[in-house]
Amino acid sequence: MENKNITQWLIGVFSLVMIVSLMIVAGYEVNKTKEQGHEIDVDKVSARCITCHEKENIAVKQIHAWEESEHALMGIGCNECHEAKEGDFDAFYCENSDMLVGRHPTPKDCEECHDQEVKEFANSKHAHQFWLFANADRATFENPISTRHGCEQCHQIGNLWPDGSVGECDACHSKHSFDLAVARQPETCGECHIGPDHPHIEIYNESKHGNIFKAKGSDWAMDYHTDNFEPIPIEAPVCATCHMDGNETQPMTHDVSARLAWESQSPWSYRTVWDEENLGSWDMKRGRMESICQSCHAPDFVDTYLLTADLVNLQYNEMRRNFVYWTKKLTNNGTIDRLKANGEFKSNPVLNGWDETPEHEMYYAWHHEGRRFRHGAEMMGADFTQWHGVWELQEDMVELITWAAEHGDHEAEKWVISNHPSKFVPYALYDIPGNAWGIGAKTNTTPFVYNEYSDYWDRVKANVKTAYEKGLLTKDQWNLWMDRYENKDHYLGLKYANDPKVVEKWDFYKERNAIDTKAFKEQAVQLKLPGKPFYTK
Amino acid sequence: MVKKKKVKLNRREFFKKTGYLGIIALGIGAFLKNIFLYISPEQKEKTYHKYLVGKKNQILPGKAKEITIQGKPVFVVNQGTEFKVFSGVCTHLGCIIKWEENNDGFYCPCHQGFFDKSGRVVSGPPPTPLTEFPVVEEKNLIYIQVEDKKKGPWA
Amino acid sequence: MSTTWTKTRIPIDGGKIKEAMFGEKIPLHMKNWVLAMGTTPFILFPLQIITGILLALYFVPSVEMAYESVRHISQDIRYGFWIRGIHHWGANLMVISLFLHMMRVFFTHSYRKPREINWVFGFLLLSLTLTISFTGYSLTYNQVSYWAATVGTNLVKEIPLIGGFVLSLLRGSEGVTAHTLTRFYTLHVWILPVVISLIIGAHIFLVRSHGVSEPDGFEKGHYDFYPGHFYKIIVVTLFLISLLSLLSVVLPPGLGEQADPANTPLHIKPEWYFFPVFLILRFVPLQLGLAITGLAIVLMIFWPFIEPMLSKKKKSRTVIANIIGCIAIVILITLTIFEAFSII
Repeated sequence: MENKNITQWLIGVFSLVMIVSLMIVAGYEVNKTKEQGHEIDVDKVSARCITCHEKENIAVKQIHAWEESEHALMGIGCNECHEAKEGDFDAFYCENSDMLVGRHPTPKDCEECHDQEVKEFANSKHAHQFWLFANADRATFENPISTRHGCEQCHQIGNLWPDGSVGECDACHSKHSFDLAVARQPETCGECHIGPDHPHIEIYNESKHGNIFKAKGSDWAMDYHTDNFEPIPIEAPVCATCHMDGNETQPMTHDVSARLAWESQSPWSYRTVWDEENLGSWDMKRGRMESICQSCHAPDFVDTYLLTADLVNLQYNEMRRNFVYWTKKLTNNGTIDRLKANGEFKSNPVLNGWDETPEHEMYYAWHHEGRRFRHGAEMMGADFTQWHGVWELQEDMVELITWAAEHGDHEAEKWVISNHPSKFVPYALYDIPGNAWGIGAKTNTTPFVYNEYSDYWDRVKANVKTAYEKGLLTKDQWNLWMDRYENKDHYLGLKYANDPKVVEKWDFYKERNAIDTKAFKEQAVQLKLPGKPFYTK
Repeated sequence: MVKKKKVKLNRREFFKKTGYLGIIALGIGAFLKNIFLYISPEQKEKTYHKYLVGKKNQILPGKAKEITIQGKPVFVVNQGTEFKVFSGVCTHLGCIIKWEENNDGFYCPCHQGFFDKSGRVVSGPPPTPLTEFPVVEEKNLIYIQVEDKKKGPWA
Repeated sequence: MSTTWTKTRIPIDGGKIKEAMFGEKIPLHMKNWVLAMGTTPFILFPLQIITGILLALYFVPSVEMAYESVRHISQDIRYGFWIRGIHHWGANLMVISLFLHMMRVFFTHSYRKPREINWVFGFLLLSLTLTISFTGYSLTYNQVSYWAATVGTNLVKEIPLIGGFVLSLLRGSEGVTAHTLTRFYTLHVWILPVVISLIIGAHIFLVRSHGVSEPDGFEKGHYDFYPGHFYKIIVVTLFLISLLSLLSVVLPPGLGEQADPANTPLHIKPEWYFFPVFLILRFVPLQLGLAITGLAIVLMIFWPFIEPMLSKKKKSRTVIANIIGCIAIVILITLTIFEAFSII
């Protein structure tokens, strides 16, 4: 009887165990993912193309890519895009068939369904005609074959086709899958926005945005649609998030110029006037960008960050003014020459030339470091604003003036001989009290210009005010600047520099630094080795 | 006295017994429920996608275009004012109909059914008009809503 | 009224059936759970039949569809992973429980007269279980199972005289093809289950006829099958279903890669219960390896008849048997563990 009771108990207990186990199984069943693609219906024409292409083994992978596309699911087959009429610039008869095929679908073909996107793209600076620029005559310096797979490959994005349409959709929307995840991948933009002249992918990668994407992005579904005023579904932005995607307040756009306030790729930074009839003034474009920023950031941070970036752009112009002064002067007095053929100048002392050092310095100071300086400041690329930016700009300046001095320019000689620190600031300055990140109690106690010139902030204020009055800054920006100016002791941290809490910490690190300096001297500077040098003067 | 005690004991026994029988029944029930779900085919919510069936300027008024969707023919007919898309499966007994342009309608060879270009039964045995797909017209393009079909051999 | 009506027409005596099913007298030592190990395969077998039938509803035994249908069951069908998990782990558990049952029988010397024939039946059941596991495993048609089938059937070829013929019968073609798949399928779902059921019947019939053996050193006496032992079976059943269900979630049987007859994977291993044989075959020449395995099998089958030849005294026979049993177990476990941890 005893035994039977225990077994009855055990039956009860194990029934419960079984129920729990089955509940776990049920939980597993519910959470089981059953994602599977959808069957596609291949239309008759496409079926013909596919059969032959597979038999002849021509670009079969492209067929597989298409099969994965939303196009395939929706019945957009080969002929929907590759349709051609007799006489079309790209029409040809597919080998061993009677099929007239368009070799290269253009935006005109895409437009049939994606008219908004094609229109927006054609209005963007992506579609602007590179070959309009004087500077585009690269073949002067770089022979034409190099430009085929150089300039032309990237600038194909704005190709002007014989059919009158403009653009190259598959530059970003890789054919034939046209996968949104691929288009949205930062490396897609980075195919062109890379390198010494506009290292945007590198800037992105070193930004907090890029870092978060690198750490977590592989788990994000990047093939989302953004044309419904829905929140941004990913945690940190990729390039397209800020420049193209929509959010709760902004419509999606294929006009990458819609949210840009500067022409900061240009030799001189200027507030953009691109397509104002459709896009409005630069501050409206800036407003669009800010609406995107504010999906993640507080307005205060956004405003301060962008105002500082704007001042970097304005500062760049003052530095460039100095370069232009020197190359013009050296050209005018004949120290350097312009390129010339058939009685026509083929170079411009402030844009190109390339055969004399000052021309190179000027060119780099704009086209390479000058852009890195500005673009780094706009997109959180500290290293590009600093070392690949202003540092190299200043070096260019020193080298240019030194070259002039060596070639007999007296003004330049004077500059070279000068030993006053202000020699590195032969231009007007912009500045803002403090930064967007926080208050540094001791940060601003060091700079020479702050300590040397008691009217420093008044000079800067006058410059910023002029920029504002000339319409290069908005009223809100001017107010923001003035708020910082009026409370500059707070923003510069000077108000806190002598606070006992700060001084105590400062002294603590001073002591640490003294220990460092001592070790540095003992271990390296004062070290004398007994072995004689091998070469003696 | 004795009798009363016995009744009390039985009741306790009764509850205990029903208690653990209940648990077993519950367990067996859960087990059989899972098996039942395993055996019975899952009824999934139907989802649809847009499918391009033609371009307006390529199907002239009074003409029809035949395409194949999920292995069955589908006809896109220009009615003059609008486009209609019909399944090519006869509503009578499932034969495949043919478009007869001269007669402005569809003919089913199995039992001589005839539908006009709007899919209505004109003559013969078909009980209902042809099945129509919902049409979405966008600029020059004619789409229909087609049911999503899972990839693979099981659908 | 109605009882007599049916009784007249279907003259079955319910009482007798009840007596046959529940009336067994069980020796007292069986109250010890460990000594009642034979129940486990007896419960698992019907569970394998049920889950097997359920799997057969969706499984398609063709080269093109076998792998896909296993995937379909595991991923698409509701609770498919559960049914497959129970079937997969049930098979593994079946092998383990048979070994344990056999060990119990061996060390309690229950195979001795008059139960020698039932040992042989038991051994046949073990062999058939391994065969049905092997054929079932091959049906999933992934790389590992495909190549296990290829290698496993190739071994048959080495049987002297009839090897080649048996191989062609098993495969139905020269290589492992669609014919092999359907043959394995037929073996797995029809022939072997029927044969095993019959032998289980014979096994239990003999157990009931002889009565459960009563090993030395335990309290003598009997108790009723119902309810004590019957309840025990229910507890074990519930426990096994729970265990198998949890295993189906925690260690779900994988899908592997689809079989590719043109490409042998770098690492192939059979299921763990073939490890000892597999290891021997890796280290000695094929013929010798098969001879060793064959000899071991023959020794095991006829052990109840061999044992009496070893000594006249019952006591020394027991000692010898225990020593041989221990050595055999140590060898088997060592070989299994060694193979499990060796990387090829």
